[in-house]
Amino acid sequence: MAYDVEILRLSPFALFDLKGAAEALEDWAPELSGLPGDPNALARNGEVLHCHVGPQHWLLRAPLEEENRLDAALRPNTAPPEISLVRVSDTLTFFRLTGPDAGEVLSIGCPLDLLPGVFGDTAVSFTELFGLKALVLRCAGGFEIAVEQSYGDMIADYLARATV
Amino acid sequence: MMNIPCPFCGARNESEFAYGGPVKPDRPDPNAVPDEDWTAYLTRVPNPLGPVQERWHHVRGCGTWLTIWRDTRTHDIVEGPSDAG
Amino acid sequence: MQGDRLPEGGRIDRARPLSFTFNGRALQGYDGDTLASALLANGIHLCARSFKYHRPRGIVGLGVEEPSALVELLGDDASGNRPATTIPLREGLVAQSVNCWPGPGFDLGAVTQLIGRFIPAGFYYKTFKWPNWHLFEPAIRRAAGLAAAPTEPPAKGHFENRYAHCDVLVAGAGPAGLQAALEAARAGRRVILADEGVEAGGGLLNRRLTISGAPALDWVAGVVAELEAMPNVTHLQNATVWAYREHNYLMVNERAPDHPGLLERNWRIRAGEVICATGAIERMLVFGNNDRPGVMLASAAQAYVNRFGVRPGKRAVVFTNNSSAYAVAADLISGGVEVAAIIDSRAQVSEAARALVPNVEILTGHVVTTTRGGRALKGVEVAPLAGGASRRIACDLLAQSGGWNPAVHLWSQSRGTLRYDETLATFLSDKPAQAVTCVGAANGEIALDDDSDDLPYAIEPLWRVEQARGKAFLDIQNDVTVDDVHLALREGYDTVEHVKRYTTGGMGIDQGKTGNINIIGTVALAQGAAPGEIGTTTFRAPYTPVSFGAIGGLREESVTFPYRHTPITEWNHARGAFMYEAGARWRRPGYFPQAGESFQESVNRECRAVRQIVGVYDGSPLGTFELKGRDVGKFLDHLYTNIMSTLSPGQVRYGMMLSDDGLILDDGVVLRLSEHRWIVSTSTGHADAIHAHMEEQRQTCFPDWNLFVTNVTSQWNNATICGPRARALMEALGADVDLAPDALPFMGFADGQVADLPARIVRVSFTGELSFEINVAPRHMRALWERIMEVGAAFDITPVGSEANHVLRVEKGFLSLGHEVDGTVDPFDLGMGWVMSKKKPDYLGKHAVALRRAGTRDRRELVGLRPEPDQMIPEGAPLTQGGDRKPTEGLVTACVFSVVHDAWVGLALLENGQARHGEIVHVRLTDRTIPARVTAPVHYDPKGERLRS
Repeated sequence: MAYDVEILRLSPFALFDLKGAAEALEDWAPELSGLPGDPNALARNGEVLHCHVGPQHWLLRAPLEEENRLDAALRPNTAPPEISLVRVSDTLTFFRLTGPDAGEVLSIGCPLDLLPGVFGDTAVSFTELFGLKALVLRCAGGFEIAVEQSYGDMIADYLARATV
Repeated sequence: MMNIPCPFCGARNESEFAYGGPVKPDRPDPNAVPDEDWTAYLTRVPNPLGPVQERWHHVRGCGTWLTIWRDTRTHDIVEGPSDAG
Repeated sequence: MQGDRLPEGGRIDRARPLSFTFNGRALQGYDGDTLASALLANGIHLCARSFKYHRPRGIVGLGVEEPSALVELLGDDASGNRPATTIPLREGLVAQSVNCWPGPGFDLGAVTQLIGRFIPAGFYYKTFKWPNWHLFEPAIRRAAGLAAAPTEPPAKGHFENRYAHCDVLVAGAGPAGLQAALEAARAGRRVILADEGVEAGGGLLNRRLTISGAPALDWVAGVVAELEAMPNVTHLQNATVWAYREHNYLMVNERAPDHPGLLERNWRIRAGEVICATGAIERMLVFGNNDRPGVMLASAAQAYVNRFGVRPGKRAVVFTNNSSAYAVAADLISGGVEVAAIIDSRAQVSEAARALVPNVEILTGHVVTTTRGGRALKGVEVAPLAGGASRRIACDLLAQSGGWNPAVHLWSQSRGTLRYDETLATFLSDKPAQAVTCVGAANGEIALDDDSDDLPYAIEPLWRVEQARGKAFLDIQNDVTVDDVHLALREGYDTVEHVKRYTTGGMGIDQGKTGNINIIGTVALAQGAAPGEIGTTTFRAPYTPVSFGAIGGLREESVTFPYRHTPITEWNHARGAFMYEAGARWRRPGYFPQAGESFQESVNRECRAVRQIVGVYDGSPLGTFELKGRDVGKFLDHLYTNIMSTLSPGQVRYGMMLSDDGLILDDGVVLRLSEHRWIVSTSTGHADAIHAHMEEQRQTCFPDWNLFVTNVTSQWNNATICGPRARALMEALGADVDLAPDALPFMGFADGQVADLPARIVRVSFTGELSFEINVAPRHMRALWERIMEVGAAFDITPVGSEANHVLRVEKGFLSLGHEVDGTVDPFDLGMGWVMSKKKPDYLGKHAVALRRAGTRDRRELVGLRPEPDQMIPEGAPLTQGGDRKPTEGLVTACVFSVVHDAWVGLALLENGQARHGEIVHVRLTDRTIPARVTAPVHYDPKGERLRS
């Protein structure tokens, strides 16, 4: 392989799409306390990530085993109209790119400036990857990226070609 | 390839956005204005040589529909006229 | 036998000889050569024929400015029209001349020289206009075409695009670029230095200069080493900055990157600041037969001696209007070339210049009027500029210098303005439009500063030699002469942009890098104006040619376009489905052929299964959105034509969305889950567009409303079971909800378990049969599907593809966006006026539809068609009165073979069609007409009893 990078398609996570004012979300579910306020910032709590991905919009990611517990804690079906909580675990497929060349491989398809000083450990953002909407964040030794699940095979194909 | 300022994300590559067209005047109440005015609202789209206010959708980013003033001669993103919204 | 290779010197590796083939001849060069330097080393000067006149042409330049020596590469790196000066020599390279057969020495096409006066400037303009370009095109292309495009992609390797960001992008690694990069890098800025050459140094590589008393290339090596050690610097060689776009976005084409398998990489760079250190390009002089092989740019001749250890001629004449050619003469002499004379059009030559060539005859105030020879230069005619007797000087090399043009191409692409500088007789950067500066020779500092032994630059412009005899070329590549420009001016094309289009001057692969300024000078002389008043043509990207592969990057073969899969894709493949894209990038099964079946037989079998027993299809791609908030009801009332706010929790309603100008955007169903939670379901093809539409309305029109939209398209997949036995199969699968018609009626839904999987069952139907849409999370979709196939085996269940779905919906008269909905029809035309609420005073599209319908023109309305006699009608075919050649009165939107009727049935949009049921109309085809009876658009179960069953 020309690039020193390991590409791994990750098994699904528990994902919840959260919309509304941060205080309203936190009031409804203590589980959500500490939602990051800065745009495109993420807060890590062990394996659980709170990602601020848009105006009044967060994405909660946790191990899939946590899904039912979180669903019970977040109670999407009974939440007040001021907030929206939707289980979206199946909507994104994640890949992990690790190794010395992970950034170079990512920059083949992604226009984001990935310099650590610009896009650091607590950064997360939706951006473009090979023409698609994609979520990008850092992980130990590289990056994690996510695309709409139905494009997973295509992105795997692209990444394989990019790193031939 | 422009570098478009998103109010949530900061400046991002144009390829993250979809063009949303020039900003038209506020939608009138079709039942309260003459038909000519309504038709004019529907069909007359600003198309100046120079700064134009337009919408862009940060569709591959945070999803924001944002507004910029773009100079159609240069693609420069400019300050809008002081009396514009 | 490299007969013209000097015994020593040059930046070539004599320990690494390389074999190559040119026009069938086996030759040798060295690592470090270009194809051009290797050809010269082998004594080959004639290497091409010109574009229009098929004149013999040699090597004129050194690099990207080369206007003449175009070759075609064969084999693994097949490509056409490549300047020989830009091709690094490699082992096994196979090249041939363009524009000549069987070879440049004997060229049948050269007879066009004799008829050249019949192909004057503007020939193409005139030919395009009258009577028809297509009459001439094949013959002209054969006679005047350049090399053919390769028919195969590169045999090995691939292309790559890459994004990058920097504080400072320095274009060019000559002395000024290296200095600028070093200063920026030392200040801690993120620097990208990109240079088109194979090694850094720029013009210094071609010279024998010293900087601070040491060889200039020692200084280069020192800077390169320092840059190499800095982590904030990316240094690219063999990398051309070829495009400068808005917002400081630039493209860099890196050839042969140090990366296995990678042919080229195209960088897309967003730079905080750009420094154009792009150097300067020497220009030609304009005299008679200035295109003869052996006539070379002075700087190129100098570089062949110094850099490649090649003797470009045995006896040279130097022709110049400026000081830079004196060092050239000195270097030629050092390389063993006899310099017969220096012809300088200026009256005065500095002592410092004369001191460089103490033993050479210098003819000041003289010009070369024409060259002698056939396919090779044999001598020049020299005459006093002021007029007088001419003199012949024998030579096989004419090194000419018309002065230097700063390479302002990138600067100009950035929209920076230019000004004409009288002292330098050239255009210089003036006012910037973006964050960019020009430095060094690109800024008019043609000679190095005092710290070097470079001669100060002095020039007196000579736009053309008045006494020229023979064709005097301005643009060698496109065979544009002084006479052609004069013709253009006479015919009224009197601005430089018009002259360019009319003569094609500057429109070649070299983009007139050596000759454009002479065209400007020629126009200026003819019009009695200063060159600054004439101005330049617009500089556009690319600066040099870029291969399509580099622009396309990875987008080839299976990944040319994005594609989407459902969890059933793998199963479909295993089942032998014929897959293709069916909207919104989804690859879906068209049909599931069984052994020995034709396309039509497969589709018929699948349709029969749905109509008679039970079928299942994968409806996963449908767009699905969860809407939440107090204001969802009134929001949907605004977006849909019918009323949605009155929907009760647990109900489903069909709806249609229009744009505000009355066009149908989409149709689909809305589910109300609870007081504040709703599901909006859209067609597959418009899911993204409707999402953007909802967000635009929400954010820009109703920002204060309590409303959230979440895309759950891929949180829900569905398997839709349809057919008379659908309920029985559902029961066999096991569902914990009451499936009875009154408990779960048509347009109802229920959440529960199906086959022990959490599911939402929705009673909608796109086939007209009893249908259960089983929605599950994608992680359960495969299991659900396999369970359906397993349990369904007892029902003889049939998987159904897009083709059968299309047939079934046409039989039923259900509309399809893109077929029946084409941007002109409204719901009334489709017989769906009931979906347009009269009660709501306003919603998107209501008023526009009303205004349009108030007109007097007949509307095209949806009808059914039954061809008589029974036959297929091509979709899209026009309907005309009597099938005659008359304006159309409609078109056929769909035609399928109906298994219910055992006949072809169609849908059409027909003027005033709702009132014409029973009439015979005519489909007009190119070779015949097909009569068809107009029917109601519903060919099957008009009362909808089956889908409600």
